[in-house]
Amino acid sequence: MKILDIALKDILRSLRNYFFLGFGLGVPILMGVIFYFAFGGLASEDGFEIAQVEVLIVNRDEPLAEYDGFSAGKILADFLQSEELAGLLAATEAASAADARAAVDNQEADVAVIIPADLSTAAFDPQGKAEVEIYHDPTLTIGPGIVTSIVTQFMDTLVGSKIAAGVAYDQLTAQGATVDAMVLQNVATQYGEWSATLAESQGASPLLDIRSPAGKKEEEGNMALEMVGGVMTGMMVFYAFYTGAASAMGILQEEQDGTLPRLLTTPTPPSAILGGKLVSVFALVIVQVLVLMAFSSLIFKTEWGAPGPLSMAIVGLVVLAASFGIFIMSWLRDSKQAGVVIGGVMTVLGMVGISSVFTANVPGAEGGITEILPLFVPQGWAMRAWRLAIEGSTAGDVLPPFGVMLVLAAAFFAIGVLRFKKRFV
Amino acid sequence: MRIIDLTINDLKQIVRDWKTALFLVAMPIGFTLFFGVIFGGVGGERDPRLPVGFIDQDGGSVLSTHLLGLLDASDAIRPIVSDESIERAEKKVGDEDWAAAVIAPAGYSERVLAGEDIALTIIVDGSTAAGSTARGGVQTAVTRLQGAVKAAQLSAKALESQEKSVDEELVTQALDNAIEAWREPPLTVSVAQSGITTEEDEGESVMATPYGQSSPGMMVQFSIAGIMSAAQVVVLERKSRSLQRLLTTAISRVEIILGHYLTMFVMIFVQLALLIGFGQLALGVDYARAPVAILLLAVTMSLWTASLGLLIGVLAKTEDQTIIFSMVPMFILSGMGGAWMPLEVTGEAFQTIGHLLPTAWAMDGIQNIIVRGLGLESALLPSGIMLAYAIALFALAAWRFKFE
Repeated sequence: MKILDIALKDILRSLRNYFFLGFGLGVPILMGVIFYFAFGGLASEDGFEIAQVEVLIVNRDEPLAEYDGFSAGKILADFLQSEELAGLLAATEAASAADARAAVDNQEADVAVIIPADLSTAAFDPQGKAEVEIYHDPTLTIGPGIVTSIVTQFMDTLVGSKIAAGVAYDQLTAQGATVDAMVLQNVATQYGEWSATLAESQGASPLLDIRSPAGKKEEEGNMALEMVGGVMTGMMVFYAFYTGAASAMGILQEEQDGTLPRLLTTPTPPSAILGGKLVSVFALVIVQVLVLMAFSSLIFKTEWGAPGPLSMAIVGLVVLAASFGIFIMSWLRDSKQAGVVIGGVMTVLGMVGISSVFTANVPGAEGGITEILPLFVPQGWAMRAWRLAIEGSTAGDVLPPFGVMLVLAAAFFAIGVLRFKKRFV
Repeated sequence: MRIIDLTINDLKQIVRDWKTALFLVAMPIGFTLFFGVIFGGVGGERDPRLPVGFIDQDGGSVLSTHLLGLLDASDAIRPIVSDESIERAEKKVGDEDWAAAVIAPAGYSERVLAGEDIALTIIVDGSTAAGSTARGGVQTAVTRLQGAVKAAQLSAKALESQEKSVDEELVTQALDNAIEAWREPPLTVSVAQSGITTEEDEGESVMATPYGQSSPGMMVQFSIAGIMSAAQVVVLERKSRSLQRLLTTAISRVEIILGHYLTMFVMIFVQLALLIGFGQLALGVDYARAPVAILLLAVTMSLWTASLGLLIGVLAKTEDQTIIFSMVPMFILSGMGGAWMPLEVTGEAFQTIGHLLPTAWAMDGIQNIIVRGLGLESALLPSGIMLAYAIALFALAAWRFKFE
């Protein structure tokens, strides 16, 4: 009973403390809100909102009189300015390449598409070559990527038609057949029609049977909310370890203030005093995790996965964060040292452990060192278990990181308690 | 002179605590390196393309061989030939060892060349950035492959229309020619970035750097974190009644406020100078290419951050509050100002709100120099906005400053 009294007193004191309310609950929620807002969660029901890419088009292409004024450059320019792409691009035409480049340099436009004068000629001339230039602000990646992808697809259609006509020309010549311009134009036109049909069905490409890996969700939900769910998970792991350490620091603080030595003179057994303090550390981490989960579920509609894997992730995080806090504090002399460890060491370990949150949307950043490095810190194992749970993995998948978390927690707890006992009891 | 004395005293008090060095220098350097590694700052020699498993169940047929060549020619993905089972391939994609896996089914080549519509199987997690990029790369290669098949078929039709006989050899030859032509397409798209140059180029441009986001980003974030210790000095002086005692001396109220403000300014300016020096010498970020512009930005950044620090020192009643009052604005101003991630990846409303904050202008100003390769002129507007913030926050802090 004494254990519970001591634990309750410590919990109440922490709940009244700015530090727990600010760092344990306020900051993680704030971070989730920032990311939610950043990725359009407030603006779009469907998720990811990206600002329109401001494109300047310089069309220097000269129409071909011999082909009824055909101009590949005009088709490309019109396509970039079409209603179909209006949601993605805000495209207008510029007078010259110099003007367009200057506008990009001065950040008045994101991307310039400079179409050369000989694009149409090169499309028909068997030996012709031409290059469309995409010029963009170096701090931007997504917008220029979108424009490059659209222009490349368009150019691939022209290239494909040209190649088809070229292949037909070579074979007709080799077989001694008459090479009629109309036949070659017919080949190019048929290729263009095939390519256009293909482009229209890109949403469900007939060339690819796309499957999700086993265990991954088949349907794509709201990407903004999924991302915020990932961020909230990262924040929960990051700040649970803060809370574990900060609440265990209470033991050092009481020793420093002289209240712990006074308590040890009372009939309450020292083991009960230490036990009460340890219970309060575990309880605070539980409160924090549950409050953050409830907030994220209500506001961000976060789906936490099946109850089994989720329970394992919760239990693992709570015992590991609390035990690690006790372990770390057992090595420190006073609250001043603890402040440095909480501010510096825990921040660094936490950032390494949750680095997958930052790499989630960086192509190529997954795997390799960014996958292995987090597993050198306890936060990394907690993050792995939570990620698996949130991705809909089975209890069997979560079991390995959960097992590691329990083993680490047991070791940290045993060492921490032994050291505190040696010090106070 | 009294202002200087007070500043020196404050600085001594701050520097004595080794935590200061941790927050001001070690942590921003650590995080700059960390984010640099994440965003490709190291390992420049390795192939940066995304790994995509290629499982050829068609036994090295004509089309599967050509497909492998086209996948390998991609700028975005690199194929890894594998004989794993589909289950193992799914696991590798699920574990993010591969960004995707492409499976050419048995009979693929024969059936496609016979005119059947056979789809290639691709296992990919489209909800990840790597998966979505890999899917795009595979789609381009497959479209080009099928385009080559279409070209061969159209060529055969053209021959037949001229009453020439078409055999398998002719079709294969046409296909080879088309694939060969795709290796060096006659119509191409080139991508150039404004202000970026390579080592061989000369002129006013700037070298591309993977630290163009993380170096200024962490400078912006940790300059705000750094004001915590200086704000704590103000809180401690008020709590211990040192401020009141100071008023009994010859020093004026204005001098006391300016002394504390100067402390914060010097501290942040030194921090920025160290981080700029580290960026220049250790990370190769070219801050030195426009020294006057960088100096102007560092001064105005220090001025506004010091004003914020003074305001925190005024508003906080306890040391705990100082931490919260510093950390919360640090997270908001850094996150919304584009210090963690480029504002480009956020929505339009977020970008607009972000640019109401001085941190976004600090990022713009520094990136104008080190990433966009612009000159002093590009630093004037960001500096002006940061200066306006400095004046407004300082005025607020001076107005609310309490000596007891």
